[in-house]
Formats: sequence, C-alpha cells, structure tokens
Amino acid sequence: MKLLWLQKITCNGNAHSFLNYPNLTEWMEDFEWVYHPLLPSTYSLKEIQSDIKECDILMIEGAIDREDSLFLELFYRYANEAKYILTLGTCATFGGIFAQAKDSIKGLHFDKENRLDEFGKFWQKSISLPGCPLQPQVLAGVLNAIKEGISIPLDKMHRPKYYYAYTVHNGCTRNEYFEYKIDEHRFGELEGCMFYEHGCQGTYTHNSCNKILWNSVNSKTRAGQPCMGCSEPNFPDDDLWRTKKNMGIPAKLPTGVPKRAYLSLAGVAKAFKIDRFYHPLMEDESE
Amino acid sequence: MSRIRVDLIEKIEGVAEVKYHIKDNRVDFAQIAFFDSRYIENILTGRVPLDALAITPRVCGICGHAHLIATVRALESATGCRVSKKAQTIREITLSLELLQNHFKWFYLSIYPLILNGANRVDGALEPSRVISEAIALIAGQYPHNSYAIVGGISTDITPIDIFELKDRLKYITKLFNKYIIDTDISEFSRCDKLEMMLSKSGDLPLIMQKILNNGWQSLGQSYDRFIVFGDSGIFKKGKSVSTRYQEHLDMRYIEEFKTPNSEAISIKYRGKFYETGPLARAMIMKRSLVKEAHRRYKDSLYTRILARVCEMPLLIQYIYDLIDTIDYSQPSWIDYKEFKQSCSGVGAVEAARGSLIHKIDIKEGKIIEYKIITPTQWNLGNSNKSNPSTAQKALIGNRADAPLELIFKSFDVCSVCTVK
Repeated sequence: MKLLWLQKITCNGNAHSFLNYPNLTEWMEDFEWVYHPLLPSTYSLKEIQSDIKECDILMIEGAIDREDSLFLELFYRYANEAKYILTLGTCATFGGIFAQAKDSIKGLHFDKENRLDEFGKFWQKSISLPGCPLQPQVLAGVLNAIKEGISIPLDKMHRPKYYYAYTVHNGCTRNEYFEYKIDEHRFGELEGCMFYEHGCQGTYTHNSCNKILWNSVNSKTRAGQPCMGCSEPNFPDDDLWRTKKNMGIPAKLPTGVPKRAYLSLAGVAKAFKIDRFYHPLMEDESE
Repeated sequence: MSRIRVDLIEKIEGVAEVKYHIKDNRVDFAQIAFFDSRYIENILTGRVPLDALAITPRVCGICGHAHLIATVRALESATGCRVSKKAQTIREITLSLELLQNHFKWFYLSIYPLILNGANRVDGALEPSRVISEAIALIAGQYPHNSYAIVGGISTDITPIDIFELKDRLKYITKLFNKYIIDTDISEFSRCDKLEMMLSKSGDLPLIMQKILNNGWQSLGQSYDRFIVFGDSGIFKKGKSVSTRYQEHLDMRYIEEFKTPNSEAISIKYRGKFYETGPLARAMIMKRSLVKEAHRRYKDSLYTRILARVCEMPLLIQYIYDLIDTIDYSQPSWIDYKEFKQSCSGVGAVEAARGSLIHKIDIKEGKIIEYKIITPTQWNLGNSNKSNPSTAQKALIGNRADAPLELIFKSFDVCSVCTVK
C-alpha cells in the first residue's frame, strides 16, 4: 500500500505521535511511504509537488486555509488519485486550534461540527480520525483494516466506530468517583473525578484514550488532568479547567444521558455518603 | 556569474526554504523563509490564563513539553504561588526526557542521512523515542500534548511504583544510547575531554564525526561565536558568552523582535546582535570539556555543534537518575493557590532541546491580553540582510555552492512549526 502524508497548518504532533506505535518497524514492512514528513520516503516533497506520484491512501495532517490555492491544487491532484482519504487529527478533521485564527482555516470536510460541501465528491472515501494528537494505534489499525480489505463501521462523521464509539470516560481509573457523584476533587491527588468542578469532558468525548492507553501506559485523566475534548468538533472550548454549569448542574451531561435520568441517579447516589470515597487510597479502608 | 538557487528544506519540524544568491560559485547571501503562520499568540488573547496550559503544548509536536513548562513558569511568576520541591523535580524529569528524545530524533532523522550519503538508521530514532515517550507518559498521562504541569505543581500524585517503572526505562534508554550513539560508559563519556578518545570508540557518533573529518567539513558552518542561554534550571546555566568572555546577567528588555519581508517568521536580537542558542551555547557557557576541545580546533562549526548536542545526552541521563533519588514522596504534588490574580504579568524561560524558549503573559481582569512566545529557531535561524546576517545566515554565507549547505542549516536543528507559532 502506498501512503502519502501531506501536512498543512499543523504542529507535527500526529506525525510524532505515530512514531510511538509499538512495532512500527514491523508494521511498515507492508506499507510504502510515498512521502512522510519525518520518515524515509520514496520521493522528496519537491518531487511530490512537481508531478503526480501513485498513491493509494492520502493522509492530511493539519487544518487547511481555503486561501492557499497552491495546497488546494496539490490536494485535488492526489485526492482524485487516492482510494481513501484520511484526515489525521482534529485540525485536519474539524479545524481544531488553528482554525480559531482565521475564518478561512477549516478542517477538510468540517468547520467544527458543520459538514462542508466544498470537497463533497471525496466524502464517500474519507475517514475522519480526530484527536489532538491522534493515537498511533488508531491510525495503524485503520490502515491495517484497509490493507486487509476489511470494512470499517463508521459513524455519521465518518469516524471508525472501533475507536470512537467509546468515550474517554470508559476505563478511567477515577470513574467510581463519578458514578457515586463525589464532587470533591483536588489536583495533585490520586483520588477524585474532574467532571464536577474541573472541566473534564471525558463522559461526552468520543475517543479510546482509556481503552487503548497512551504510550501503552497511562492517560491524561488517570494522571489527574481533565479531558479537554481534544477529539471533539468544538475543540478547544473556552475556560478548559472549569466545569460550566446551569443552576449548579453541569451544562453538558454524559453522551446520551437525559437530564432527568442524570438528576435521578445523582439524587440517589448523593443520598448515601460512602465513606471509602472520602478516604485517601493509601490509607486503611474504614470498616 | 550570479544565480539564485532555491532549496526546500524538509525532514525538519515542518518545512523551510532557503534562497541562495550564488556569485562566482560561492554563497553570497542566503535568505531563510518559513510559512504557514498559526497565530497561537492571537488565539490565546482573550482566553482565561489557565487555558494556555492546554493550548501552548500544541505549538509543537516535538518540543511541546518545553512549551508547557514555559507556560506554567510564566503563569506562576504572574500570580505568585508555591510549588513543592517534589513537583519541581518531577517537572525537571519529564522536561529532560523530552530533550533527550529530541536529540535522538534529530541525530537519526535529520543529520545521519545527510552525512552518510542518504543511508538511514531509523531504529536509532524510533526505539529510544518510544521508550522515552512511555517514561514521560507514566507521570504526565500521555506524550505528546499533555498539560500535567499546572499552576501550583502537577496534576496527580506520583508514587514510587511509577518511578520504578520510569527508572527501568531509563536503564533501557542508557543501553540504547550505548547501542546506537557511542559504546562507552555514560559517566566516562561525560568526563571525556579528548576528541581522539571519542573517535576511537564504536557507535554512530564516532562514525559520523570521523566522516565529517574525512570529508573535510569540520570547519564549515562557523558563525559569530556568540552564545546565549536564558533558562537557568537543571543542568544548564544562564548567561551569554562572546569569544570565551562569559557574562551571567541577562535582561529580557534587550530582546528585540523584527519581521522581514518574504518570510512569516520573526527574528530575534539581543542588544542589537544575533546570538546562537541551543546545546552548543549551553556547552560553551558551562565550559564542557569535550565541546571546548572541539571549539578550540574548529570554532562554532557544524562539527562542534553536532558534538555539543550529542554530549548533552549522557548528562541528561545522569541528571534524571540523580533527580529520581531526590524525590521526597511525602511532599504535596500540588499546593492550592486559592485564586489566580485578576491582573498580573509573568515570564517563563526554559531550555528546550533547540535552545532558549521564552513565554510572556499579560493578564487583565482575568483574561489574557497579550501572550508572547520567543522560540530557539527564531534566535538561530532569523532572516536578516546581507550587512548584518542572522546566526544561520552567517554560517551559510561564504561557502562554496557545492558545500553541504543543508547540513550546515540543519546543524542548528530547525523547528519551523515553532517559528511560525
């Protein structure tokens, strides 16, 4: 399989993140980099720009400035050629951080959650892989599936369900504190959930961060950082370390959970004061 | 005979363009351009101060952790708060790991193929990088792009079992350093002051340093011999040195920024002069023996610059071992600062892999009104005019047109994405 990795307005984070894929060297045996920004490739960027090279999969990293006619021309040439187009990371998919600088900077098929028609003829062969950055296992897995001819179930934003049907909350080591509505959290501690006060978006962010651990060892929420929703269309929101509330209730509730259900469960949970959750994990459990 | 040659520089962080003005087969002038501005400073304006902790690591996919540390230092200097020794030590560990990782990647992805006629040894970058990323993630949650350093400390508590895992990885990284870079004990290598001794060992460092000598490139890429270091924590010392005259005092008010046509980057001077920042600058200021020896022979050439960067690796490894031993687990990981000041301003300086990185923040009524980022590549690879060229321009000018110009350029390690931040 011939892979072409093109970059536009990006931090290079997806390219570097991908280098952390375990067994990358073995994985690469079945693929050829027509061009990759860091790894040895068949052609130089200049050669890629000057005439069309064969490619099976076009990968875009970074947001696209619609005023950048040179890049758009390059994109069209290879998008017509490729069997699949992958948008790598949140910038290429939804616009991300850099889209906040200028109205003309957007994701390939989306401006935040709004579908754009501009490149509509490529929509059917496009796969969205948001994340800031993208987890290396996600990209390697999707490319493996394409190579093996296995069809990948996609959601309506064309995100592969194998990875994005989950939320970041799934598998978080702090989730008992969420389930039992323990709303006290202090930074610098092993205990507590950041959902109630500190802006954690894990319960409504579609990604596998706590299922496929980052760098095979950990995740941001396990390490006490609120999930900032970096794979969601509106990333980055404002005031990221504080939970927005209406009348004391978190303004955004877990995906698919109606407010009534949430409030009923919260009411029941709060009726009990379960001692264990108020004790440091490293102290003896009370009887 | 005059002509213009335009080189597109790739396999760096992003891309850059160098326009060579060639006269009588020599580089008469070289213009350096970077593209695709990302306006991070504007994006931060109007936001609440703490948002910077999530946004600035995303300036750069390879040195984002240095941006996070610069941000947290700027915020802490603005609001004024206490940070435990434990939290500071752990931040030093993850920052040092990032530097180490950057050094491996630069050596194998940018430099190695240029010296060895296009040969590749990608595993020398991939294997250490992955293990180092794991070591950072054990503490910081993930790498790249975490925000675990927060105002008042770090986001979670750390237990000895996390550090045991980290230490085992550090042992493995030490082995990889010996396997790939140079096969000698790290403390022996840190004390080494003879180039011949380094060259007599096996490993890719002696291999490429010997190749540079065989090619007769060892004196290429000399510039002003002026060095500057702003970050003063860890194994680095703050100050500037001009032909062995060292001065510790630096004043950020003397930093001038200017923009040049044809490039989206902003160049930097200190008191009207260009300086080199990065591993060579750090080694010159700290008077590291092996680097001083190379400098005595070849001055601030690409040879000395490459050697200086690799010589930092064993120092960083040893530094992380030493830091691990000083962690006092009974100290708090985070100290509550109650409330962030509504109006204040602060500065954070840090030594990133490529050199001094400075963040400045101005806050009014609880919102960022100005955020300024000054990156190492702006110091080293500015674009100026022929009568007063930047550090990298000076290193390129005067060379024959068939000299290894790309290697001279990349010896500074170019972070294009940081430059058009």
